Amino acid sequence: MTTVSPTQASAEADGIDASARCPLGLLLAFGLFWLVAGGILAVLNLLQLQSPALLADCAWFSFGRLQAMQETAFIYGWAINAGVAAATWLLVRLSGEALRGANYLVVGTLFWNAALVLALVGIAGGYATSHAFFQLPDFVQPVLLVAYAVMAVPGILAWTGRRKEHTYATQWYAVAALFLLPWFFSVAQVMLNFLPVRGVLQAVVATWYAQNLFSLWLAPIALAALYYLLPKLTGRTLPNYDFAIYGFWSLLAFGTWMGGRQLIGGPVPAWIATIAITAAVMVLFHYIIAFLNLRSLFRLAGSSVLFLLMVGLAAYLVGGVVDAVFATRGLAKVTQFTYFQQAQQQLHLGAFSLVMFGTLYFMAPRLAGAAWPSITLLRAHFLAVLIGFGLLVASLATAGWIQGAALNDAAVTFATIGDKTRPWLQLAAVAQGVTLCGNALLALNFLRLFFTKPAADSVGRAVMEASAS
Amino acid sequence: MSTPSPIDPRQEKSAQPDDAILAAHEKHAGAKTAPGHYHLLPLALLFIFSGLIFYAGTYLNRYSGHFSGKVFDERQLPTSGAAVAAKIDPLVLGKKQYNLACVTCHMPNGLGLPGVYPPLAESEWVLGSEERLISIVLHGLKGPVTVKGNVYGTAAMPAFGQVPGSGYNWNDEKIAAVLTYIRHEWGNNAGAIATERVTEIRNKAGARKEWTEAELLALP
Repeated sequence: MTTVSPTQASAEADGIDASARCPLGLLLAFGLFWLVAGGILAVLNLLQLQSPALLADCAWFSFGRLQAMQETAFIYGWAINAGVAAATWLLVRLSGEALRGANYLVVGTLFWNAALVLALVGIAGGYATSHAFFQLPDFVQPVLLVAYAVMAVPGILAWTGRRKEHTYATQWYAVAALFLLPWFFSVAQVMLNFLPVRGVLQAVVATWYAQNLFSLWLAPIALAALYYLLPKLTGRTLPNYDFAIYGFWSLLAFGTWMGGRQLIGGPVPAWIATIAITAAVMVLFHYIIAFLNLRSLFRLAGSSVLFLLMVGLAAYLVGGVVDAVFATRGLAKVTQFTYFQQAQQQLHLGAFSLVMFGTLYFMAPRLAGAAWPSITLLRAHFLAVLIGFGLLVASLATAGWIQGAALNDAAVTFATIGDKTRPWLQLAAVAQGVTLCGNALLALNFLRLFFTKPAADSVGRAVMEASAS
Repeated sequence: MSTPSPIDPRQEKSAQPDDAILAAHEKHAGAKTAPGHYHLLPLALLFIFSGLIFYAGTYLNRYSGHFSGKVFDERQLPTSGAAVAAKIDPLVLGKKQYNLACVTCHMPNGLGLPGVYPPLAESEWVLGSEERLISIVLHGLKGPVTVKGNVYGTAAMPAFGQVPGSGYNWNDEKIAAVLTYIRHEWGNNAGAIATERVTEIRNKAGARKEWTEAELLALP
């Protein structure tokens, strides 16, 4: 197939991308909207940690609700919109056919995001559930489930209708993610809200759900993008690709068991935490394979997409090792229920976001049929998210460790702990602010990309023609 | 193909079409090793996976508490109900029993009521012979008794043990616990009383009425 001439390839891919332009552009636009909105909420939320009086009199934006809102906006707004867009685009590209069922995607997206607005208003109004990463009020949950199912249809159609029988790692990961979310989302809805299980079992189900969100959705989507973009941009075949399938199954098989780590020392039978700790160790096998397959990312320089992907992969791998190490009971004794856990979550979310940014920088110009309008905005966004991400994880981890060590010492008063962690939390707020600015620039660049006439930019046109496919 | 250069970040060039990616990896995945050649990596991965399984299996076996829903400390194994009950601290149980009944006459400070109820604190009866002490609580005591040099003429200690005519019917464990408690409290510092010792003395004495001081002093 290497004999395909550039013009042929470009013509073929142009048709495919044109078919996906509107629905995926819409998804990405919503994703970026929630990314910025969630960023604003997150900054406010972190500022409330410094000065508790901020917005304290306004019930709608009190600390707990704001925290739930920013988490929901980030996960269900940014991550799922962008993730579905990326997964669908990758599946459509690899199917070799134009996107089918675009209407499903548009309708699903509109309902998903309308329900999400309702969810945020509901959380602000006090209808949130009490489970982390699952604070969605119960009245929007079924709507979100159905909307997601509709949204995922074109991706599945692209997979079933692919030209080649043989499948590639990107397709496994993308299809698995598309299919798995409805499974654990519906189970969590029934077991936590509609026919709630009793007592402590709710905590077990809630941590299982949150872990699945990370291991069975965010991680597969990011890996799907990595497995596609690396050979796409370098032209090389991935090394040790034979083992990719073991990496895939070990993530699915072990990742889902890791949730109980959050319950170490909690009022649950000991085996639940023990099995989660073992799973966190077993899943290291997946990380080894991912590193083996994608390691050439660490050697490359020059391409900004590959640079973002490299940092994203590094964060992903570090996240896996940190999960395994800090799941051990001795260390969990310190980090449990502190900012350190937030740092771990931010590490995973950051890894996902960086990979998505890389995908976006590659995908959006092809969807829009034009090059990114501004290099300055692009570079500024890079710089801001990289600084913001590193600073956020480092400051939260430090704050968490200080907090955990101090909490375990009965002689240290609560006020002292507050004083000790404050400077680090201020740093975290700054980091969130920097990230927010960067993401706002990305959103601006994205809007300009889609709403300026591609033909007007002759340079962009030339670049596009030279590099399409 | 080498890394394209210079790269325009506004739209990065793709290096190969999608079909080529699929074809190249399909070929790669199905490739057979040439005869006579051997790859080390599959073996290494097998060892790594086995190592992880070994660690995970050992950890799971050791800290799962046999997957019992009743084990909350990962270092413990599930135990039956009787074994759990046996682990009750006698001082805690003894204090509870004391506050249920004994405290009415012997008072919270163990000093009794001068002239009416004899003290337990620093009492030679409490700190002395185990057999006499156990006997008093099992069957009760009637008649005058001398404690710390003072004579208490109308002592009427009821029977507490599981003996005929007892109004309390405390089992041997409770008797042992309350005795251990009073031998340990208010500055008293005598050894603990074992449940087995109470059982032994109860069986030896059989059915009988309250003890008198003279009968008690005859006991070892």
